[in-house]
Amino acid sequence: MSAVLTEPVTPQAPINRSAGPGIAWGHWSLAGIVLAFLAIFLLVPVGLVIYTAFVNETGALTLGHFSNFFNQTLMRESFVNSLMVALSSVFFASIIAIPLAYLTVRFEFRGALLIQTLGVLPLIMPPFVGAVALQLIFGRSGSVNLLLNDWFGFTIPIMDGLVGVTFVESIHYFPFILLNLVAAMRNIDGAMEESAMNLGAKGWRLFWRIIFPLSLPGYLAGAALVFVKVFDDLGTPLVMGVTNMLAPQAYLRITSVGIEDPLGYVISVIMIVFSILALWMAARVMKGKDYSTLQKGGGSLQRRKLGGWESVLAYGWIVFILLVTLAPHIGILLMSFSKVWSYSVLPDSFTIEHYGTVFTDSKLMIYNTLKYCTMAAGLDIVLGTTIAYLIYRTQLPARQWLDYMASIALAIPGLVLAIGYLRMFKGVNVPFTDTPMVATWFLIMIAYAVRRLPYALRSCMAALQQVHISLEEAASSLGAGKVSTVRRIMVPLMLGGILAGFVTSFITAAVELSATILLTSSQSQAPMSYGIYLYMQSIAGRGPGAALGVIAVAVVALGTYMSHRVIENARAPVRAAHE
Amino acid sequence: MLRTHAVRGLTLSLISAFFAAHAGTVAVVTSFPKELTEIYKKAFESRNPGIKIEILNKNTTASIAYIKELPVGQRPDVMWASAPDAFEVLARDKLLQPAPEVKNPQAPAKVGSYPLNDPEGMYYGQALAGYGLMWNTRYMQANKVPAPKEWADLVKGEYFGHVAMSSPSRSGTTHLTVETILQGEGWEKGWAQMLQISGNCAAITDRSFGVPDGVNNGQYGVGLVIDFFGLASKYSGFPVEFHYPSVTAVVPANIALVAGGKNADEAKKFITFTMSREGQELLFDPKISRLPILPNASFGAKVPANYPDAHEIAKRAKVSFNSTLSSDRYQVVVSLFDQMITFRLKDLQAATGAIHEAERKLKAKPNVQAAELLKQARSFAYSPLVSESMIKDEKFLELFRQNKKEVAVAKQLTGLEDLWNTKAKANYEKAADLAKQASALIK
Amino acid sequence: MHLNKVSLEARHISLSYGKTEVLKDVNIRIEPGEFFALLGPSGSGKSTLLRLIAGFNQHQRGELLIDGKDITGTPPHLRNVGMVFQNYALWPHMTVWNNVAFGLVERRESKADIKRKVGAALELVGLSQFGERRPGQLSGGQQQRVALARTVVIEPKLLLLDEPLSNLDKNLRVQMREEIKNLQRTLGLTTIFVTHDQEEAMTTADRMAVLDHGILQQVGSAAALFDFPVNRFVAGFVGTANLIDGTITHVNGETIIFRGEGVGELVLPRNSDTPGAGKTTMAFRPHTVSIRVRDEHVEASRAWLDGRVESSEFLGESSRYRVRVGDAMIVANQPHYAGLALFPPGSEVRLGIESTLVRFLNR
Repeated sequence: MSAVLTEPVTPQAPINRSAGPGIAWGHWSLAGIVLAFLAIFLLVPVGLVIYTAFVNETGALTLGHFSNFFNQTLMRESFVNSLMVALSSVFFASIIAIPLAYLTVRFEFRGALLIQTLGVLPLIMPPFVGAVALQLIFGRSGSVNLLLNDWFGFTIPIMDGLVGVTFVESIHYFPFILLNLVAAMRNIDGAMEESAMNLGAKGWRLFWRIIFPLSLPGYLAGAALVFVKVFDDLGTPLVMGVTNMLAPQAYLRITSVGIEDPLGYVISVIMIVFSILALWMAARVMKGKDYSTLQKGGGSLQRRKLGGWESVLAYGWIVFILLVTLAPHIGILLMSFSKVWSYSVLPDSFTIEHYGTVFTDSKLMIYNTLKYCTMAAGLDIVLGTTIAYLIYRTQLPARQWLDYMASIALAIPGLVLAIGYLRMFKGVNVPFTDTPMVATWFLIMIAYAVRRLPYALRSCMAALQQVHISLEEAASSLGAGKVSTVRRIMVPLMLGGILAGFVTSFITAAVELSATILLTSSQSQAPMSYGIYLYMQSIAGRGPGAALGVIAVAVVALGTYMSHRVIENARAPVRAAHE
Repeated sequence: MLRTHAVRGLTLSLISAFFAAHAGTVAVVTSFPKELTEIYKKAFESRNPGIKIEILNKNTTASIAYIKELPVGQRPDVMWASAPDAFEVLARDKLLQPAPEVKNPQAPAKVGSYPLNDPEGMYYGQALAGYGLMWNTRYMQANKVPAPKEWADLVKGEYFGHVAMSSPSRSGTTHLTVETILQGEGWEKGWAQMLQISGNCAAITDRSFGVPDGVNNGQYGVGLVIDFFGLASKYSGFPVEFHYPSVTAVVPANIALVAGGKNADEAKKFITFTMSREGQELLFDPKISRLPILPNASFGAKVPANYPDAHEIAKRAKVSFNSTLSSDRYQVVVSLFDQMITFRLKDLQAATGAIHEAERKLKAKPNVQAAELLKQARSFAYSPLVSESMIKDEKFLELFRQNKKEVAVAKQLTGLEDLWNTKAKANYEKAADLAKQASALIK
Repeated sequence: MHLNKVSLEARHISLSYGKTEVLKDVNIRIEPGEFFALLGPSGSGKSTLLRLIAGFNQHQRGELLIDGKDITGTPPHLRNVGMVFQNYALWPHMTVWNNVAFGLVERRESKADIKRKVGAALELVGLSQFGERRPGQLSGGQQQRVALARTVVIEPKLLLLDEPLSNLDKNLRVQMREEIKNLQRTLGLTTIFVTHDQEEAMTTADRMAVLDHGILQQVGSAAALFDFPVNRFVAGFVGTANLIDGTITHVNGETIIFRGEGVGELVLPRNSDTPGAGKTTMAFRPHTVSIRVRDEHVEASRAWLDGRVESSEFLGESSRYRVRVGDAMIVANQPHYAGLALFPPGSEVRLGIESTLVRFLNR
């Protein structure tokens, strides 16, 4: 899963490709369609949200809502709490990730495979699903605390309140930092390190003075991403019953006070501002500091073998992290099979009836998830390919803006997009019917598509960049028109990247909850993520909820695996022909 | 080519999907959990092929907002929830329509002294529920906490950190519980009790289910729950017990026909079904465990052994629930609870903890000065910020019913809320301080 | 395969990117069936001109005529001008067969026709057995042949080759050079190919055009450009040249006197194209210079200069000397035969220039 934050790449101007005035129409209309989509489903709703926060009921501009917001202790508290939780999560995620990155890059040992697994495991379990299971393991009367109390007489309130949220988010999101950091470190030319060693630096000092600073851009990219995702997360605090954070407050206000409640919009604006700030700062620090200095013929950092006690420490840390990371997975698995699990380290009794319940009662939800996510992912790759084509193969003015606009979706929390849709389509019916738009599943699917578009776009753009333009010119010189060239040459050669983009979109949409909660009105429309949330709300529902969660995780894991295979397979033939 | 196929497929599915929800569909907005709605949905659909039940799951407050925001003709058809006051609010805003023909003639008119159906005929009792205490036997045993009998028991020191409840703003049933206590004990005393109980709480959960759920998996020891949560959990095999205290009320869960829905005729069929004998029998399912509106005896052998009898419980209940009073002061109660308790829980807990500590010490070694300080601490911590006279003031209540959209109103309300919030915090801190002083005096 | 021979004419072609002028008023006429080379250093505009003919670039001024018809507005896929790219541009996701068949599939030819034509094209380039392979499995030379087959199978009007040999190693280059030439002769296609290597151009092309900074320098056969370059650039680019700036001081009927700067005076015969008195540059090729020991007897048909050897290179068939004469450095080629010893650096020698082969160029 590509978690790397990259700057939009400036298109290399292909050598003067104006090939006649007639074709430009096709480009313009394509660009028009893309623009219309982005405008209607991203820019206008978000703009509406921002606008509403600044407008009072007579329509005049006002900062009254903002001052109202900051005058309320609860709101101020929520704001500070959200910031703190996000920053702490980044901090703890870093603490977990940095030693692991160091171990991977610096040492040769078989645990490297374990670390790679650690880089993927947490991401396949959405945090709100894991949170429930973690209650049973790390909660006040969970397995761990019961054991600790029995043996040592103390407990760790790690699942209480804000600390609990930080805990859950940290162990879910640390792979973003891990993967980015490892990638950045691998790009450092070994000569950098060798010259430092030559001048007398070694060990930890070498790491902190040379290696880490050089990988800082990669680290910051990952850290910014973690910050944004934690700051915007609705599902986890909601499931854990923490309401004094920004996202839950916005949700609660919109649902209980109504879509007109201005505070919900104020919160949305604050969330957008901070998201953009974080991403912008990360991009800014990275600009001009592309330290990937790996020269041709240069090697990467030296690796050495682990010494005796170093080995123990390393493996110890890895195993510890592995256990903690696996806790939600194990917990969910146990829950799905348990009949009664109460105030005990392990469940009392086991059963498979929960899976039975899920397959009889919730087939529709599984089907819904497949439906929405396939359509959303399909839409994403179509848009992604189109935008990539427009940017790299045409001369339309300001075409870079298509990329920027689509990428804005990265900074928009799902919650905010949902609020925007609810507001924008309020009272709007599906054409030719009198069903309100907001009561259909269409907006759910669109929300998935819009929010996943930046990732799919990156995949498509990377894929198109690998297709040398001469391959298309050759087709052209042999008589293939534009459409034929796209169909027979461009798309097949991009297929690997397109598929990877599809899978990434699919699996992240499958476990999205923030926008889903707000946009799903009836149970028959509910996808799996919402279904899990619903199930977790009742006594008898915990078991089936966990079973559904296991199924969701299995789908995501399968998808991640397939996406890796597809990318690997697709790279091989393209590489070969470019001698 | 891929693109055209996708576009075609997209348009087709869109069109077909939109035509799915219409005649032949009844939209039900409810806060009831999946087990209950699934069972009713299946039972009704099997008896009425051709009608589909669409369940919209929203908690009570969200349901009200949802219905309010939709225009006539696009609203859901049925509202089905526990709290009668939510229905009061909807009725007052003319969002419900009467459908007297759905009533079951065999249902008694009253439960105890409480009318089963709305006197105006806008909504109808569909099931009955009481409120009570649920506890986790393993937890209680491990932490050596005695099983409670009354609400008042929960103010004691031995329950500190072991209780859980939800907030009236998030849960219609919790609001009812709170109102029951307030009506049973009186405004000032009721709040004092509530604040003390809350001070003993480990958490104020987001939804009412969070309490029984936490008690079920042993996170909390005792929870204030609606009866079916406790009963369902017990029947599911969890190590829990449930008990009705004497200050309880048996209140109907209601169902009503929403005005301006899409399919009133078939909706009425569904409503009738829920109140019919077959519909009532479904309530005995252990997963549901609610009390029927028809007397237990009338079901003969179909009623499970030792199943609580709503009418019996109602007869011995001390409280005769006044739902008009409840709905009149709904906003104030809800808001005050949140500002004083939900959002200030940590401070309240700190104050309570300090007070318990001082109490313990005082019991061992009586000390007049300390006792005086402790009394002051209690008065700071456990007095409601809205006095009895204020809550009876109509103008004051009216303020809370106004339109929150207007900036001036919003400002005033949020100003008041903020005032409570800050004052509560200050009070609790003072109380904690005084209690600590009291403790310090006892050597 | 019998293909039509067409002519190509570029009239006053000018092309700019923004403010940069890439082609300035280029006029060329290529005859039907000619093997024509566009020669020049990088940045000279030769590739741009080729791509312009293919339709991938658009000129702002001028006309481009194929067989007398202006194709300026025609999009590339309708020009039927076959182009072989520098990197061959073979599609990795298709087999060799499908690569070659591509253009025919586009033209909706029948399956039978495609089979026949592709088979013939592969046979023409000697790759009949390679139909099922993928480009990644072929060597560089094989890939290029596939690219050629793919282009000629559609029976284009023109064949365009963009630096076809620059990706091959030296030995292969020579071999492919011949193969391409043979192919062209067999098919009779008008062919234009772009190269920066003057040896390549000289050995294969019927005629060639030299471009520098977008301006056409000279058009003609290899021999014409080699023997009679019109300016310093062509003189230096096509083959090696010794260039000495100086002044023609006296013009006397049959002879002239040329004073080279820092070199001294030379008496040279006057030819029909020798300019009058004034500033000029004397140009002569290394192979026209013979090198003798200082005090040896010298023949009068040559103009002699004294100099000192600075360095020497043994090239196998000849030895190349760099000799300092006054301020100038003169390159002289001495044919080698077995046993001939090289002049060591520092030797005092005498250089004899074949005066009839001296050219004078504008300063």
